[in-house]
Amino acid sequence: MSVRARPTSPHLQIYRWTITMAMSILHRMTGIANYAGMALLAIWLIAAAMGQEPLMALNFIYGSWFGQIVLFGFSWSLVHHMCGGLRHWVWDFAAMMEPGQREAMAWATIAASVVITLLIWTVFVWAA
Amino acid sequence: MGSLNMRETIITREQVANPRTHYGDAKASTRHFITQRVTGLINVVFLGFLLFIVVRLAGQDRADMVGVIGNGFIGIPFAVLIGIVAVHMRNGMRDTLEDYLHGRMYSLAMMLNTLFCLIVGLAAIGAIVKIVFWG
Repeated sequence: MSVRARPTSPHLQIYRWTITMAMSILHRMTGIANYAGMALLAIWLIAAAMGQEPLMALNFIYGSWFGQIVLFGFSWSLVHHMCGGLRHWVWDFAAMMEPGQREAMAWATIAASVVITLLIWTVFVWAA
Repeated sequence: MGSLNMRETIITREQVANPRTHYGDAKASTRHFITQRVTGLINVVFLGFLLFIVVRLAGQDRADMVGVIGNGFIGIPFAVLIGIVAVHMRNGMRDTLEDYLHGRMYSLAMMLNTLFCLIVGLAAIGAIVKIVFWG
Protein backbone atom coordinates (compact mmCIF):
# COMPACT_ATOMS: atom_id res chain seq x y z
CA MET A 1 0.00 0.00 0.00
CA SER A 2 1.26 3.45 -0.86
CA VAL A 3 2.67 5.42 2.03
CA ARG A 4 3.27 8.58 0.04
CA ALA A 5 2.03 11.79 1.58
CA ARG A 6 -1.59 12.48 0.73
CA PRO A 7 -2.39 15.93 -0.63
CA THR A 8 -3.74 17.85 2.37
CA SER A 9 -6.72 20.18 2.23
CA PRO A 10 -7.08 23.53 4.03
CA HIS A 11 -8.18 23.44 7.64
CA LEU A 12 -11.85 22.82 8.48
CA GLN A 13 -12.39 26.41 9.62
CA ILE A 14 -12.34 27.88 6.12
CA TYR A 15 -15.26 25.79 4.89
CA ARG A 16 -18.94 26.57 5.15
CA TRP A 17 -20.46 23.60 6.92
CA THR A 18 -22.59 21.29 4.83
CA ILE A 19 -24.50 18.21 5.97
CA THR A 20 -22.49 15.91 3.68
CA MET A 21 -19.26 17.24 5.19
CA ALA A 22 -20.61 16.78 8.72
CA MET A 23 -21.61 13.19 7.93
CA SER A 24 -18.20 12.48 6.38
CA ILE A 25 -16.49 13.68 9.55
CA LEU A 26 -18.96 11.75 11.74
CA HIS A 27 -18.31 8.61 9.71
CA ARG A 28 -14.62 8.80 10.50
CA MET A 29 -15.21 9.73 14.15
CA THR A 30 -17.68 6.89 14.71
CA GLY A 31 -15.28 4.53 12.94
CA ILE A 32 -12.55 5.45 15.42
CA ALA A 33 -14.99 5.16 18.33
CA ASN A 34 -16.06 1.69 17.14
CA TYR A 35 -12.39 0.74 16.85
CA ALA A 36 -11.89 1.53 20.53
CA GLY A 37 -15.31 0.22 21.52
CA MET A 38 -14.58 -3.26 20.18
CA ALA A 39 -12.16 -3.60 23.10
CA LEU A 40 -15.19 -3.29 25.44
CA LEU A 41 -16.81 -6.27 23.71
CA ALA A 42 -13.57 -8.27 23.90
CA ILE A 43 -13.21 -7.49 27.63
CA TRP A 44 -16.79 -8.61 28.29
CA LEU A 45 -16.23 -11.92 26.48
CA ILE A 46 -12.91 -12.49 28.26
CA ALA A 47 -14.54 -11.85 31.65
CA ALA A 48 -17.26 -14.37 30.79
CA ALA A 49 -14.62 -16.92 29.75
CA MET A 50 -12.64 -16.37 32.95
CA GLY A 51 -15.37 -16.94 35.50
CA GLN A 52 -18.38 -15.70 37.43
CA GLU A 53 -16.44 -13.30 39.68
CA PRO A 54 -14.72 -11.26 36.95
CA LEU A 55 -17.96 -11.23 34.95
CA MET A 56 -19.95 -9.83 37.87
CA ALA A 57 -17.29 -7.19 38.51
CA LEU A 58 -17.43 -6.15 34.86
CA ASN A 59 -21.24 -6.18 34.80
CA PHE A 60 -21.12 -3.77 37.75
CA ILE A 61 -18.93 -1.36 35.77
CA TYR A 62 -20.88 -1.70 32.49
CA GLY A 63 -24.16 -1.44 34.40
CA SER A 64 -23.20 1.76 36.24
CA TRP A 65 -24.57 5.08 34.97
CA PHE A 66 -21.20 5.91 33.43
CA GLY A 67 -20.96 2.50 31.77
CA GLN A 68 -24.49 2.85 30.41
CA ILE A 69 -23.69 6.26 28.89
CA VAL A 70 -20.58 4.84 27.22
CA LEU A 71 -22.52 1.82 25.92
CA PHE A 72 -25.33 4.06 24.65
CA GLY A 73 -22.77 6.17 22.79
CA PHE A 74 -21.08 3.04 21.45
CA SER A 75 -24.39 1.64 20.19
CA TRP A 76 -25.23 4.90 18.42
CA SER A 77 -21.71 5.03 16.98
CA LEU A 78 -22.06 1.49 15.59
CA VAL A 79 -25.48 2.22 14.08
CA HIS A 80 -24.34 5.53 12.62
CA HIS A 81 -21.26 3.98 11.06
CA MET A 82 -23.45 1.24 9.57
CA CYS A 83 -25.86 3.79 8.08
CA GLY A 84 -22.92 5.81 6.74
CA GLY A 85 -21.38 2.67 5.29
CA LEU A 86 -24.62 1.75 3.52
CA ARG A 87 -24.77 5.30 2.11
CA HIS A 88 -21.25 4.87 0.74
CA TRP A 89 -22.35 1.55 -0.68
CA VAL A 90 -25.15 3.28 -2.61
CA TRP A 91 -22.65 5.88 -3.84
CA ASP A 92 -20.34 3.10 -5.05
CA PHE A 93 -22.96 2.40 -7.71
CA ALA A 94 -22.74 6.07 -8.73
CA ALA A 95 -26.32 6.55 -7.56
CA MET A 96 -27.82 9.35 -5.43
CA MET A 97 -24.91 11.68 -6.13
CA GLU A 98 -26.78 14.61 -7.65
CA PRO A 99 -27.24 17.86 -5.69
CA GLY A 100 -30.19 17.43 -3.36
CA GLN A 101 -29.98 13.64 -3.44
CA ARG A 102 -26.70 13.46 -1.57
CA GLU A 103 -27.89 15.95 1.01
CA ALA A 104 -31.10 13.95 1.45
CA MET A 105 -29.04 10.79 2.00
CA ALA A 106 -26.83 12.58 4.51
CA TRP A 107 -29.86 13.80 6.49
CA ALA A 108 -31.38 10.32 6.27
CA THR A 109 -28.15 8.88 7.75
CA ILE A 110 -28.24 10.96 10.93
CA ALA A 111 -32.03 10.64 11.27
CA ALA A 112 -31.91 6.86 10.84
CA SER A 113 -29.01 6.40 13.25
CA VAL A 114 -30.72 8.39 16.01
CA VAL A 115 -34.13 6.72 15.48
CA ILE A 116 -32.71 3.17 15.29
CA THR A 117 -30.55 3.67 18.40
CA LEU A 118 -33.43 5.12 20.43
CA LEU A 119 -35.68 2.31 19.20
CA ILE A 120 -33.18 -0.35 20.30
CA TRP A 121 -32.78 1.17 23.77
CA THR A 122 -36.50 1.81 24.18
CA VAL A 123 -37.59 -1.69 23.16
CA PHE A 124 -34.78 -3.71 24.72
CA VAL A 125 -33.65 -1.67 27.73
CA TRP A 126 -36.05 1.01 28.95
CA ALA A 127 -39.33 -0.80 28.25
CA ALA A 128 -38.00 -4.30 28.89
CA MET B 1 6.97 16.93 11.69
CA GLY B 2 6.04 20.59 11.23
CA SER B 3 8.97 22.01 9.29
CA LEU B 4 8.64 22.33 5.55
CA ASN B 5 11.75 20.38 4.57
CA MET B 6 10.41 17.35 6.45
CA ARG B 7 7.48 17.25 4.05
CA GLU B 8 7.63 14.86 1.18
CA THR B 9 7.52 16.22 -2.37
CA ILE B 10 4.43 18.20 -3.25
CA ILE B 11 2.09 16.15 -5.39
CA THR B 12 0.58 17.99 -8.31
CA ARG B 13 -2.75 17.34 -9.97
CA GLU B 14 -0.93 16.35 -13.16
CA GLN B 15 1.12 13.75 -11.31
CA VAL B 16 -2.00 12.13 -9.82
CA ALA B 17 -3.86 12.23 -13.14
CA ASN B 18 -1.02 10.83 -15.25
CA PRO B 19 -1.07 7.02 -15.26
CA ARG B 20 2.63 6.97 -16.19
CA THR B 21 3.61 8.23 -12.72
CA HIS B 22 1.98 5.15 -11.14
CA TYR B 23 0.84 7.32 -8.28
CA GLY B 24 -0.33 5.05 -5.47
CA ASP B 25 -0.49 1.28 -5.60
CA ALA B 26 -3.24 0.25 -8.02
CA LYS B 27 -3.47 -3.38 -6.93
CA ALA B 28 -3.17 -2.89 -3.18
CA SER B 29 -5.51 0.10 -3.23
CA THR B 30 -8.16 -1.74 -5.20
CA ARG B 31 -7.90 -4.69 -2.84
CA HIS B 32 -8.16 -2.31 0.11
CA PHE B 33 -11.30 -0.72 -1.39
CA ILE B 34 -13.01 -4.03 -2.10
CA THR B 35 -12.00 -5.57 1.25
CA GLN B 36 -13.48 -2.58 3.08
CA ARG B 37 -16.77 -2.80 1.15
CA VAL B 38 -17.17 -6.56 1.53
CA THR B 39 -16.22 -6.67 5.23
CA GLY B 40 -18.40 -3.62 5.86
CA LEU B 41 -21.43 -5.32 4.35
CA ILE B 42 -20.77 -8.47 6.41
CA ASN B 43 -20.54 -6.25 9.49
CA VAL B 44 -24.27 -5.53 9.12
CA VAL B 45 -24.76 -9.21 10.00
CA PHE B 46 -22.28 -8.83 12.86
CA LEU B 47 -24.35 -5.95 14.24
CA GLY B 48 -27.44 -8.15 14.18
CA PHE B 49 -25.59 -10.88 16.08
CA LEU B 50 -24.19 -8.36 18.55
CA LEU B 51 -27.66 -6.93 19.21
CA PHE B 52 -29.09 -10.41 19.79
CA ILE B 53 -26.26 -11.41 22.14
CA VAL B 54 -26.20 -8.16 24.12
CA VAL B 55 -30.00 -8.08 24.49
CA ARG B 56 -30.04 -11.69 25.68
CA LEU B 57 -26.97 -11.52 27.92
CA ALA B 58 -26.28 -7.99 29.16
CA GLY B 59 -25.79 -8.12 32.93
CA GLN B 60 -26.46 -11.87 33.03
CA ASP B 61 -24.63 -14.61 34.91
CA ARG B 62 -21.82 -16.67 33.45
CA ALA B 63 -24.15 -19.68 33.17
CA ASP B 64 -26.50 -17.69 30.91
CA MET B 65 -23.58 -16.54 28.74
CA VAL B 66 -22.28 -20.10 28.39
CA GLY B 67 -25.83 -21.20 27.55
CA VAL B 68 -26.12 -18.80 24.60
CA ILE B 69 -22.56 -18.22 23.33
CA GLY B 70 -21.59 -21.81 24.24
CA ASN B 71 -24.01 -22.97 21.55
CA GLY B 72 -21.62 -23.56 18.64
CA PHE B 73 -24.18 -22.37 16.10
CA ILE B 74 -24.13 -18.97 17.78
CA GLY B 75 -20.58 -18.81 19.17
CA ILE B 76 -18.65 -19.92 16.09
CA PRO B 77 -20.34 -17.58 13.56
CA PHE B 78 -19.98 -14.75 16.10
CA ALA B 79 -16.24 -15.48 16.44
CA VAL B 80 -15.81 -15.51 12.64
CA LEU B 81 -17.71 -12.22 12.35
CA ILE B 82 -15.46 -10.64 14.99
CA GLY B 83 -12.44 -11.69 12.91
CA ILE B 84 -13.97 -9.93 9.90
CA VAL B 85 -14.63 -6.84 12.05
CA ALA B 86 -10.93 -6.82 13.03
CA VAL B 87 -9.94 -6.77 9.34
CA HIS B 88 -12.37 -3.88 8.74
CA MET B 89 -10.96 -2.02 11.76
CA ARG B 90 -7.38 -2.32 10.55
CA ASN B 91 -8.30 -1.33 7.00
CA GLY B 92 -10.34 1.66 8.15
CA MET B 93 -7.72 2.91 10.58
CA ARG B 94 -5.17 2.63 7.76
CA ASP B 95 -7.18 5.21 5.77
CA THR B 96 -7.05 7.58 8.71
CA LEU B 97 -3.34 7.07 9.38
CA GLU B 98 -2.47 7.56 5.69
CA ASP B 99 -4.19 10.93 5.73
CA TYR B 100 -2.23 12.39 8.63
CA LEU B 101 1.07 10.48 8.97
CA HIS B 102 3.84 9.78 6.49
CA GLY B 103 7.13 7.95 6.35
CA ARG B 104 8.38 6.25 9.49
CA MET B 105 5.67 7.70 11.74
CA TYR B 106 3.13 6.11 9.44
CA SER B 107 4.90 2.74 9.56
CA LEU B 108 5.06 2.85 13.35
CA ALA B 109 1.39 3.82 13.71
CA MET B 110 0.41 1.14 11.22
CA MET B 111 2.30 -1.47 13.24
CA LEU B 112 0.47 -0.43 16.42
CA ASN B 113 -2.80 -0.53 14.45
CA THR B 114 -2.14 -4.11 13.35
CA LEU B 115 -1.17 -5.06 16.89
CA PHE B 116 -4.35 -3.58 18.39
CA CYS B 117 -6.64 -5.26 15.87
CA LEU B 118 -4.85 -8.59 16.33
CA ILE B 119 -5.07 -8.43 20.12
CA VAL B 120 -8.74 -7.37 20.22
CA GLY B 121 -9.73 -9.90 17.57
CA LEU B 122 -7.77 -12.83 18.98
CA ALA B 123 -8.79 -12.08 22.58
CA ALA B 124 -12.50 -11.98 21.70
CA ILE B 125 -12.28 -15.06 19.45
CA GLY B 126 -10.21 -16.92 22.05
CA ALA B 127 -12.76 -16.14 24.77
CA ILE B 128 -15.63 -17.40 22.58
CA VAL B 129 -13.76 -20.56 21.59
CA LYS B 130 -13.04 -21.22 25.26
CA ILE B 131 -16.74 -20.83 26.13
CA VAL B 132 -17.88 -23.02 23.22
CA PHE B 133 -15.48 -25.92 23.76
CA TRP B 134 -14.62 -25.80 27.47
CA GLY B 135 -17.63 -23.95 28.93
